[in-house]
Amino acid sequence: MEKAIRRYWPVFVLPTLAAFIIGFLWPFLWGIYLSFCQFQTVNKVKPVGFSNYMKVFADPTFVHAFWFTALFTVASTLIINLAAFGVALLLTRKIKGTNLFRTVFFMPNLIGGIVLGYIWQSLLNGLLSKWGWPLLALSEKEGFWGLIILMAWQQIGYMMIIYIAGLQNVSPELIEAAQIDGATAAQTLVRIKVPMVMPSITICSFLTLTNSFKLFDQNLSLTNGEPAKNTQMLAMNIYDTFYSRSGPQWKGIGQAKAVIFFLVVVVISLIQLRFTKSREVQA
Amino acid sequence: MMAAANDSMSPNSRAQALAKRKERTNNVITGILSVVLVLWIYPVFMIIANSLKIESAISTDRIFRLPLGEDFAGLANYVYGVTKMDFLSAFWYSLFITVTSVALILLCCSMCAWYISRSGNALGRIMYLLCVFSMVVPFQMVMFTLAKTADTLKLNTPYNICIVYLGFGAGLAVFMFTGFMKSMPVEIEEAAMIDGCSPLQIFFRVVMPITKPTTISTAILETMWVWNDYLLPTLVLDIKKYRTIPMDIQYFRGSYGSVQMGPMMACIVITIVPVILLYLFAQKYIIEGVVAGAVKG
Amino acid sequence: MNRKLVSAVLGAAMASTVLAGCGSTASAPAAQTEETAAEEETAAGEETADTAEAGAESAAGKVYYLNFKPEADEHWQSLAAAYTEETGVPVTVVTAASGEYETTLQSEIAKSDAPTLFQVNGPVGLANWKDYCYDLTGSDIVGNLTSDAYALKNDEGAIAGVAYVIESYGIITNKALLEKAGYSVDDIQSFDDLKKVADDIQARADELGVKGAFASTGMDASSDWRFKTHLANLPIYYEYQEDGIDRADAIKGSYLDNYKNVFDLYITDSTCDPAELSAKTADDARNEFLNGEAVFYQNGSWEYGSLSDKYSDDELAMIPIYFGVNDAKEGLCTGTENYWCVNAEAAPEDIQATLDFMNWCVSSETGTKVMAEDMGFTIPFTTAQESPNVFVKQDAEMTAAGKTPVSWNFTTMPSENWKNGVGSALTAYAAGTGDWEAVKAAFVDGWASEYAMMQ
Repeated sequence: MEKAIRRYWPVFVLPTLAAFIIGFLWPFLWGIYLSFCQFQTVNKVKPVGFSNYMKVFADPTFVHAFWFTALFTVASTLIINLAAFGVALLLTRKIKGTNLFRTVFFMPNLIGGIVLGYIWQSLLNGLLSKWGWPLLALSEKEGFWGLIILMAWQQIGYMMIIYIAGLQNVSPELIEAAQIDGATAAQTLVRIKVPMVMPSITICSFLTLTNSFKLFDQNLSLTNGEPAKNTQMLAMNIYDTFYSRSGPQWKGIGQAKAVIFFLVVVVISLIQLRFTKSREVQA
Repeated sequence: MMAAANDSMSPNSRAQALAKRKERTNNVITGILSVVLVLWIYPVFMIIANSLKIESAISTDRIFRLPLGEDFAGLANYVYGVTKMDFLSAFWYSLFITVTSVALILLCCSMCAWYISRSGNALGRIMYLLCVFSMVVPFQMVMFTLAKTADTLKLNTPYNICIVYLGFGAGLAVFMFTGFMKSMPVEIEEAAMIDGCSPLQIFFRVVMPITKPTTISTAILETMWVWNDYLLPTLVLDIKKYRTIPMDIQYFRGSYGSVQMGPMMACIVITIVPVILLYLFAQKYIIEGVVAGAVKG
Repeated sequence: MNRKLVSAVLGAAMASTVLAGCGSTASAPAAQTEETAAEEETAAGEETADTAEAGAESAAGKVYYLNFKPEADEHWQSLAAAYTEETGVPVTVVTAASGEYETTLQSEIAKSDAPTLFQVNGPVGLANWKDYCYDLTGSDIVGNLTSDAYALKNDEGAIAGVAYVIESYGIITNKALLEKAGYSVDDIQSFDDLKKVADDIQARADELGVKGAFASTGMDASSDWRFKTHLANLPIYYEYQEDGIDRADAIKGSYLDNYKNVFDLYITDSTCDPAELSAKTADDARNEFLNGEAVFYQNGSWEYGSLSDKYSDDELAMIPIYFGVNDAKEGLCTGTENYWCVNAEAAPEDIQATLDFMNWCVSSETGTKVMAEDMGFTIPFTTAQESPNVFVKQDAEMTAAGKTPVSWNFTTMPSENWKNGVGSALTAYAAGTGDWEAVKAAFVDGWASEYAMMQ
């Protein structure tokens, strides 16, 4: 059978492969090359060696965006997963209206990032002005928490669904047995439920981690980097360098930033993969 | 407290007391969650309310007011947003791009994934590795060069941008399909082959029906991505002629030298209401799809 | 027949149906492309010049204009349509959102179908785009210029851009409301006068039925350019005057205190709480002025179109932004930051078509009429028609009365990035979350570091 299938590769693989080369592979390799060049459009490309990379690290906005993104990623991953897990626990207690809660909590996921940002910008600015606090565009701290609230609103429902599925797989007999043995609710949670849903925890933390780290749309529409680029995350900082700054030197720097960004994401993914693998061995 | 009282009770009444206690806690939980529920819906409600208000009543200090009395604008914002910003064509382009891209991704990637999981040769392995790799790469890495490539190949209209989406979205889809197909028993396919089916027949008659759950999961994930995507169409599409919904909404800010909050709110409502309705009807599939997708991914 | 052959035939048949299926999905959209393109043409008439025509006319060239002025978008669309109707040359006009011109130009210029006509804001903008500017020396449009000063030359002396509009800005005043408060425009001859009048109006706001003396100093991206760019021109202008220069790699900020005084006045005697300014848009300010909620409104002659619907010419005046330096001689801020450049990388026939279009706009009856009446522009060409714009007339009157127009030096600001830095600092200062020192730092240090980065 293998042989027969191999003969059909132009039908099975070629369309995807061709699109993949156009949509990913070629732009990716070209992008790496351009990160060593000075260019404004691709008609005038001048290789400059590593100088773009030197300039990236001398750019305070990039360094700031890096730490802002890192902090945001950690905070949002923790908050979203704790909240989602908590809600999932409550919703697996067979309470009234479980379906309604599940439906509504998941809903924000369907709304796109740009739209979400504008909805929350209006809402948060309204609240802030009611309390007499500075508006979103004025305070880095508020921008940070605004983004966290927005992400929590959007993502808790999604993660909750995954946790509920995990919790439903925990066998009721096991929990009953534990209860007969006199285990308290807290003990059943820590000793039985959490270890049993470990795969879901890994998946959810990975999803929130990468979503937060690569965040762009919400950042653009909620704060647009204000005040003074202080709430710019990495993806937006790269976009800003690329398209908002004129002058021939910036595109190369932007592309170099993108390569660095890519490498960081690869490192995070590798760590994640390691972590998942080692868990699987234990289990 | 209860434990002390329990000693004197019969096992039967003890169970009753426990059940009662559980019910009471559950009622409290329902109460708390109901409050959260209201908070969860409020942003959407607020947008709908504001879309019915006049422009000057949407300022920060009046955003929480209901569209009553002199603030009420009727459907004026909707009419303006739809006519002036050509919102319907944006809606159509978004819809067309999403449908064609997702259909193309599902067809091509499931075929490719089957090849990967059954051929066992180097081409399949390389393809798989590349796809997994592409999932990690952030869009910013390729945005400039991808826009240029698509422009050179004239893939800059809503009618063929699906090829770009196939290329950039192939990673996730191929990964999910391959994961599922590798776990499928080969025996059925081999039996079909012995019966004289060609690989194409086997794929469409045997493999496709079995992969239906994964197809649904992938379709949902890819739809949510393409429908809401902002940066890729902004950079790739020919902006002289085409704008998708997210682009249109972003364009409300600052186009014609002003920010038109009213029409913007109206268009947001037009954008999210069909999606929410669709979700309410197809809820079961969407939620199951998400779960299945997450477990595979 | 043996089994193998049957399966081979079947396979081939299957493959062909699948391929045919692929073929039809690929060709159907292609067919639709033309269909919808045609539809669009009829449906969206204002979108003008579609590419359907471009195919037939490609030999004659086509024009793609990336317009900078959102407020004039509608008129450019109709002017382009008129040109296409007259000559058959397709003209596409795309308007970038406010504050997004540079971003849009950056991404559009990289495309194969790049803008053939774009604009730079002056010498600094030119430095960034000089590789893309076609040499306009000897072209018809340059020949039509009223003065050589309106031609933007690059370092080699070639004409890289031509100014196509001269504009003025100042403080637009609602004369009726001012009179109601017991003053006339003539009472305001200096910064101190302005402050006295504004403070008084602010104090009696309820009695006069206004919300404040000045319309909101909105710092949203749609409005903040009025302060981070236009108002910031004045300290730069006076510093250049003092030093006798017209450009600098470093600025001292000698007149930043005056800048602070005017800005303080704007945000104190205002229709709204300074803490809310970051979310106030250009529309908000304009609406306040239109609704008679504010007496003063800093903006320019380009606003005439939207104000003249509500107010007659007698009700409007534009007074200089008195800066407390040389108030007796100070006129309106008059100049240009709009230089047309032709994309040197465009196809030769497109360049020619673009040159023709530009010249037609500033010399034909239709073109000059739309530019003067609908857009309210004063254009620096010998063929210009007189603009009915009352602010333009007032500028001429003031110059005739011996006042010196303040030139537009913000074209020498180092970058958009610098302006954004100043804007953010001003917003924070207004809201009380930042101090004036931060504005100074963004102004003076930011200037030096941005210029250093250009080297």
